[in-house]
Amino acid sequence: MKENTSWRKPAAVITAFLLLLSAASLLYLLSDKSGADYAADIFQDGILIKSIYLSDVSETYTFTVQGENGCVNEIEARTGSIAIISADCPDLICVHQGFISDAKLPITCLPNRLVIRLRPVSDSPGAAPDAVAY
Amino acid sequence: MSVRKTALLALFTTLSLAVYAIESAIPPLVPVPGIKLGLANIVTLLLLRSFRARDAVLVLVSRILLSSFLFGQALSLLYSLAGGLCSLCAMALVMRILQKRLIFLTGAMGGLAHNLGQLAMAFAVTRTPGVLAYLPFLIIGGILTGLFTGLCAGFAGKFLGPFLSDFPSAIP
Repeated sequence: MKENTSWRKPAAVITAFLLLLSAASLLYLLSDKSGADYAADIFQDGILIKSIYLSDVSETYTFTVQGENGCVNEIEARTGSIAIISADCPDLICVHQGFISDAKLPITCLPNRLVIRLRPVSDSPGAAPDAVAY
Repeated sequence: MSVRKTALLALFTTLSLAVYAIESAIPPLVPVPGIKLGLANIVTLLLLRSFRARDAVLVLVSRILLSSFLFGQALSLLYSLAGGLCSLCAMALVMRILQKRLIFLTGAMGGLAHNLGQLAMAFAVTRTPGVLAYLPFLIIGGILTGLFTGLCAGFAGKFLGPFLSDFPSAIP
């Protein structure tokens, strides 16, 4: 009786595909582009509503951003970093993320459609994301 | 659809809803929206293995609708549907190609497809290219969590297999 082994090749292909994809993602995440000055772009509903040059922030300050259906996010800017410190969304993922100081991971509050992205100050606001630009 | 099968699929819907509820009580592991274990995927995998794809779709959509009505917001329904259906399509395909072997590979592909579908939906909803910056996190997260749920489904299948084989996919 001969065993059907036609699944072995696709299994190897799928394993290789997953490994390659993970390695590429990991490499991208570990690549360090430190030393740059960042500006924080705050997007609501995909529209840039505020840009803050984080290296110019000399004193910590907070402000609130109000959404269309009354949702509120409180944002704190410090020298070189920024965070959402309180929000009225249920999951608070954006708040738990804490302060960000590089462009790798934006802060996103999906319920309130708020995104804070850091961009090296040499780029223009709303430029294509790093994943595409590099 | 026979009464027996209707009852069994309802049982699986309840099971996945319970698993989903328990999981939502666990605090998120990492501060990236969209990365979670997705334990309910274990049920989808088991169904894909022992039933037809359309039965798995039925249970998945029922579970997503119920969980959104019970715990969710309006938007979470869109994200769950996008992720769940992408994942199910990918897993049905891989499961067929691999002839139901190496379930953890099917799970990993499903986790990956789930996160990609969810990211695409987030992009459509927020219209912000910035959300694409999550891509590398979601790729790694999807593959790892998918591997985990796939392994769980593999082990669960070992125990449930004799029970489920009483209900072959030929049941009308």
